[in-house]
Amino acid sequence: MTSRTPAAKPPLISNVLAKYIMAITGIVFALFVMVHMYGNLKVYKGPEAFNDYALFLRTLFEPLFPYEGFLWIFRVALLVCLIGHVGCAVLLSARAKKARGSHKRRGLKGFKSFTARTMPVTGVVLLLFIIFHILDLTAGVGVAPAEFQHGSQAGSFAYENLVASFQRPVVALIYLLAMVILFLHLAHGLWAAVYDFGVTVSEKARSWVILVAGVYALIIMLGNISIPLAVLFGLVK
Amino acid sequence: MVNVNISYADPVDGKVPDGPPSTAWARRRDQYKLVSPLNRRKFKVIVVGTGLAGAGCTAALGELGYQVSAYTIHDAARRAHSVAAQGGINAARARKVDNDSIHRFVKDTVKGGDFRGREADVFRLAEESVRVIDHMNAIGAPFAREYGGQLTTRSFGGVQVSRTYYTRGQTGQQLQVSASRSLQRQVAAGTVTLHTHEEMLDLIIKDGRARGIVTRNLKTGEVRAETAHAVVLATGGYGNVFHRSTLAKNSNVTAAWRAVRRGAYFASPSYIQFHPTALPISHKWQSKTTLMSESLRNDGRIWVPKLASDDRPANAIPEDERDYYLERKYPAFANLTPRDIASRAAREQIESGHGVGPLKNSVYLDFRDAKERLGVKVLDERYGNLFEMYRDATGEDPHEVPMRIAPGAHFAMGGLWTDYDQMSNIPGLFVGGEAGWGYHGANRLGANSLLSACVDGWFTLPYSVPNYLAQHLGETLLERTDPAVQGVLKDVSKRVNHLMKIGGKTPADRIHAELGEILYEGCGVSRSEAKLTAAIEKIRALREVFYTDLFIPGNPQSFNQELERAGRLEDYLQMAELMCIDALDRKESAGAHFREEYQTEEGEAARNDEDWCFVSIWEEGADGAHIRHAEPLDFKDITLETRNYK
Amino acid sequence: MKLTIEVWRQDNTATAGRFETYTVTGAYEEMSLLELIDYLNDQLVSEGREPIAYESDCREGICGTCGITVNDQPHGPVPNTPSCRQHLRSFKDGDNLRLEPFRSEAFPVVRDLVVDRTALDDVIRAGGFVSVDAGTAADADSMQIGHGRAEQALDFSACIGCGACIAACPNGSANLYAGSALQSLSLLPQGQAERSSRARNLLAEADTHFGPCSVYGECAVTCPAGIPLSAIAAVNRERARSAFRKGKDD
Repeated sequence: MTSRTPAAKPPLISNVLAKYIMAITGIVFALFVMVHMYGNLKVYKGPEAFNDYALFLRTLFEPLFPYEGFLWIFRVALLVCLIGHVGCAVLLSARAKKARGSHKRRGLKGFKSFTARTMPVTGVVLLLFIIFHILDLTAGVGVAPAEFQHGSQAGSFAYENLVASFQRPVVALIYLLAMVILFLHLAHGLWAAVYDFGVTVSEKARSWVILVAGVYALIIMLGNISIPLAVLFGLVK
Repeated sequence: MVNVNISYADPVDGKVPDGPPSTAWARRRDQYKLVSPLNRRKFKVIVVGTGLAGAGCTAALGELGYQVSAYTIHDAARRAHSVAAQGGINAARARKVDNDSIHRFVKDTVKGGDFRGREADVFRLAEESVRVIDHMNAIGAPFAREYGGQLTTRSFGGVQVSRTYYTRGQTGQQLQVSASRSLQRQVAAGTVTLHTHEEMLDLIIKDGRARGIVTRNLKTGEVRAETAHAVVLATGGYGNVFHRSTLAKNSNVTAAWRAVRRGAYFASPSYIQFHPTALPISHKWQSKTTLMSESLRNDGRIWVPKLASDDRPANAIPEDERDYYLERKYPAFANLTPRDIASRAAREQIESGHGVGPLKNSVYLDFRDAKERLGVKVLDERYGNLFEMYRDATGEDPHEVPMRIAPGAHFAMGGLWTDYDQMSNIPGLFVGGEAGWGYHGANRLGANSLLSACVDGWFTLPYSVPNYLAQHLGETLLERTDPAVQGVLKDVSKRVNHLMKIGGKTPADRIHAELGEILYEGCGVSRSEAKLTAAIEKIRALREVFYTDLFIPGNPQSFNQELERAGRLEDYLQMAELMCIDALDRKESAGAHFREEYQTEEGEAARNDEDWCFVSIWEEGADGAHIRHAEPLDFKDITLETRNYK
Repeated sequence: MKLTIEVWRQDNTATAGRFETYTVTGAYEEMSLLELIDYLNDQLVSEGREPIAYESDCREGICGTCGITVNDQPHGPVPNTPSCRQHLRSFKDGDNLRLEPFRSEAFPVVRDLVVDRTALDDVIRAGGFVSVDAGTAADADSMQIGHGRAEQALDFSACIGCGACIAACPNGSANLYAGSALQSLSLLPQGQAERSSRARNLLAEADTHFGPCSVYGECAVTCPAGIPLSAIAAVNRERARSAFRKGKDD
């Protein structure tokens, strides 16, 4: 074998750049779902508190922004993140597939490699869930409960909508499973993000990182799962 | 009595500069001719081998602006066997106040080699050792450091100062990786072309000068010639002639031996170092005698049962029935006697029936007392990785039962003969590293092999090769169509086809295993006329077997490892005879060469400076004739004396 | 011991491969994995058949030449251990061993269990070196490096270049390898002068051969040199750092 000269042209979006985009957008989502869960838990304070919170989000920064102004900025930002996250995921998956070639890695064991391996699957499921969730409790069309009521500047019906939706056992189950999936995706995603951000920590510090990522994901899963269960068992009406 | 067919020829001139050896190198460098920077790219140099000597020489010549073509049999330059050296690299930097100096370094090396090396070469080794450490550090080798940030050193066998620089137990690896990175840098810069998986199978000579090589691509089987203005062989040692040795499986003598077949001289072929702390053979299919670092002898105690063929497990043998023979015979150095002495003592015990282990072929290296004295924690800090390696290999835990060790063929002090400029008797053919011979005499000190490879590669050949090139400015490369090139190409193809056509039944490795047994028995740790003549006879018989019963499956136009092995074995079968001839011819004991007929009353090696203070230099004549030249050795600064480690 | 061995046989890069099955009797626990293949090859050659091609050299775990995938695990069942130091005592009498080459698109099969790992060297050639010419270095003692810092650098430069990390990676990523190459030099003063250009060039080259990292962590479990997983984080850190230092001194 005679030596080769330095290589072919590198791709426009390098693997490292794509990973940074995924990590940054992923962290945005991780923070978002934590805040989202915090809001969700207000359901336990009763309809008034929950609906007021929903209205509060719509009127945030009024009069600097119009009604729902901030919310829309926020939604657009999340959408951009989503496009970045999914786009890079598709790009990297394709590259990974090509680099590995026709003989797939087999014989992987353990929870960690399970979550890593299933990232694309859990990712797709979460994407479908997001669409489902928006139709169900934001847009109020299609999969939404028949009793869905749109909110306005005068008031919100978020609480009533939520209860109506979760009283359907199949829907409650979908939410519940989605949260398990979110846990898997988040647990690996957060752990991976530490590496993507280039944190060269020691062996010992690394086990703490795994623990923190796991606990964070677990809190979100348990907090959110409690709500459909509470509705199903009649604790929240 | 076997016919050994030795004839004696004129002495050979080592071209050592006149005057004091301590300043010879500076004087010689001033005499060297130079090539101007603009002319350098007009010269092409072939370097065979990418170990520390080869990679260093390739990178350094490339940095100077010469065109270099580098060859390795491996899939990557970094895999060369320099990578496996563990302990460290010596340097006479003399920074401490332990009173080290260039002179002391030279004395230790010359004395350690039992006064059978070239003194002036050792001065060069010592002088350039300083720059070697600076350079290897600068290109990224992470040498161990003191807490204050300075380089740290440790002591090694046969030396009373601390001059060994190291990176844990993987010094060779770190130096080799750094050197091959520098080589890659020159490939990127366009000065070096690297050929991996290519084996040199012959040397092209025209008008008595080396003008190129013929190689076989190990992946495709393609036989190809490349011509150059000079050829450097840095192809390592030939310890694998013993089949099971501490060497890597692919280390071989082929490139060097092919040069010998074309007229190059071979110096001191019988000087082979046996490492005392190798793993013993425990089963028939064991492929090598894995090396365990010499450092184990700092805390381990070596012993055998006093009772011959004692079958009790080690721990059941009471203290007063154990013979700590090194402590008994060499109270001053005890378990830390130089390698040749430790190996010989172990061999004596094994041969007198005191060997231990299932095959009775080893001695104990016991950490019981060290464990009591230091505790398991300290022991593991010092030797943890070695203990683990031992457990991997044997399934036994050295914390609980003593290790079993045995001498294993290790380093070749002999090699292609070169003059002071590292050039062989064939003009244009240079040699570096273990493939050469100069520094180590009849026994090498620990941590001097990495150094000699580095000094040759980075700081000797880059001076001496240009001196030769300068005399050939304007000379064009030999054409491929030149009869000299075509002839060698034909020879190589003929030889390959001949091997393929033998059509017997026996795989090459089986024959190699037999050769190893013959050599361990006949030309091993301790030699005698009877053993050596028997070995020569057996080697010749085995050669017959090889040429009638060898079988190589497949075809030569493909990746064919059996063909590789057979080709290398053919060369071993020839050089093994020369080893025995040299050992038989040298009627004295010196360093690793111990002749039973020549020993003192206490059973120590008896050197004979009156008759044998020279290097035996062998030329292979036609029809199996061995012609011995001699290069007289002259010690000006270091006084000849008898080694004493008692 | 009696073992059934399924081996990947492939004549050359251009042809398709297939598994062939052999039964080996009379193997013993002390044998290394490679010695088992030697034993089998001896039988094959004596029967006039072609031996299984595989590469090995030092057989002490430092040269990085050997590399066989055993029952889907690159190098074999014992973690962080190269093929040459895997022994049959990890298996039971009657076990099945499936031997394959290191798998990755960047490692085309040369023959049987031998792959071409030139891509690893291409990565180093792109920048994994320190540009200092022979003889020009300053006194090594004038460069002060703390004890711990030198040891840490050695943790990363211990890489033996076997390519198992890539074969272990479901993505065919070389981040552990590339990261160890970068980190071993970025921890040392010697590596500072070219730190940014090294990261840019080396990783650009790596991207052309190898896949992206998804932090499976399989590489670090397999690595016979025990390179820490933080090497893969070093890839991202060094690359990001270099993006902010364009046009600066390194």
